[in-house]
Amino acid sequence: MNSYAQLYDAEQTKQGVRLLAEQIGRHFSVSGNGFALVGIHQMGVPLAQMLCEELSACGKTPDFGQLDITMYRDDIGTRNMLPRIHETIIPFDVNDREIILVDDVLSSGRTIRAALDALTDYGRPGLIRLAVLVDRGEPEFPIRADFTAFKVSLPPERKVVVKFEADEISPAGIFDVNWHKNN
Amino acid sequence: MIQWKRKDLLGLYDLSAEEIIFILDTAAEFKKVSERRVKKVPALRGMTVVNFFVEPSTRTRVSFELAEQRLSADIVNMQAQASSLLKGETLLDTVKNIEALQVDLVVMRHSAPGAQNFIADRLKCGVVNAGDGAHEHPTQALLDLFTIREKLGGFKGLNVSIIGDILHSRVARSNIWGLLKLGANVTVAGPSTLVPREFEELGVRVCHNLKDAVKDADVVNMLRIQHERQNSGFFPSIGEYSSWFGIKSATLQDMKPEALIMHPGPINRDVELAGEVADGENSVILEQVTNGLAVRMAVLFLVAGCRK
Repeated sequence: MNSYAQLYDAEQTKQGVRLLAEQIGRHFSVSGNGFALVGIHQMGVPLAQMLCEELSACGKTPDFGQLDITMYRDDIGTRNMLPRIHETIIPFDVNDREIILVDDVLSSGRTIRAALDALTDYGRPGLIRLAVLVDRGEPEFPIRADFTAFKVSLPPERKVVVKFEADEISPAGIFDVNWHKNN
Repeated sequence: MIQWKRKDLLGLYDLSAEEIIFILDTAAEFKKVSERRVKKVPALRGMTVVNFFVEPSTRTRVSFELAEQRLSADIVNMQAQASSLLKGETLLDTVKNIEALQVDLVVMRHSAPGAQNFIADRLKCGVVNAGDGAHEHPTQALLDLFTIREKLGGFKGLNVSIIGDILHSRVARSNIWGLLKLGANVTVAGPSTLVPREFEELGVRVCHNLKDAVKDADVVNMLRIQHERQNSGFFPSIGEYSSWFGIKSATLQDMKPEALIMHPGPINRDVELAGEVADGENSVILEQVTNGLAVRMAVLFLVAGCRK
């Protein structure tokens, strides 16, 4: 991250995660089969984990899965290199289940399109919803988030980066970063 | 974190340990695809793969074909008997013509070592080596490595013995290069006519005694002994080869009880490997076949995924 601006600090980001969990908790119950959160690699996975913890604290423990969408991308063969494939773990039967896909940022909507294809190859869920921490508001596909904590409007060449842990480069938080397409 | 940047997979000699591990990690995820009800992903949708087998092959070709289908690629199969090579066309002209049809990948087997390297340098599309002479058979070695890692967890300090016709074996060479890069100790064994001392220069132990070769081995990889070698004077008879270098039930007494028995197939039952050993508890031969599919899916995905 050579040129970046902080949009939300670590505390505001945590607050956003709690807000997202509250929204999901209001709409879904654990009666019957309950519901499931499926995080999309990379940052959707730790986010879904945090949401699970928040929801569990309110007595609404969902099932948890993680999904890699690399095999379902629409730009294979057009990138300089492929992203590494991460582990997909769906430890429950998705048929007829209520599933909430979780990602950190809704940008073009292409990741979500791929995630819908990937998830439905595991079965036929009864319902799929989308929860994102940050919604950029201008998707390239007709895909909208059902649950969102922050709405951010930025020019397309900027990238929104979510960090849940501080590291040597920057603190935790949500950042606006200079980005070159096809990186 | 490394990323894949190669348009071709020609052999293990050129790959770094990190690249080999990257392929194995990718293959682990593709293995799960074949365990689902929907055994297919759209990764290579709209891409065309040509399977060009200038040397006959059944199992490797079928494994590649299935891998391509599970990646949603379109497939064309070409065999030497049906190709214009027989009419005098050069190999380069043949593959240039294939490329002119806008194909994305060529999977090739050829009897001439280095044939795939030759065409890969001259084609924009990706090339995957499905075996070139006695040079390399990278996907076979990768599936062997995948199976070893899955069963034993890693390679560092592992003793792997490859037994049989090492001299003529591309499987042995690819395995040797891969295993050494990953930190395993490699022994090659067989009659001195088929396992010359020169192999020591690669950094492996050369051994001409079966008992000595297997006693400390964590993995024993048995190679098929080709009947046609019998007439070339490499050993007196199949029966004599078998009695000296074939693994029988009794051989297991001299081995670590948990040692893996591998074989790239097709097996000559009761020649290099007794039937009851091939079907026994130490054998992972059919798992190698299953893993071959996953490894080939990973390789095709990675080379197709790079912008040419």
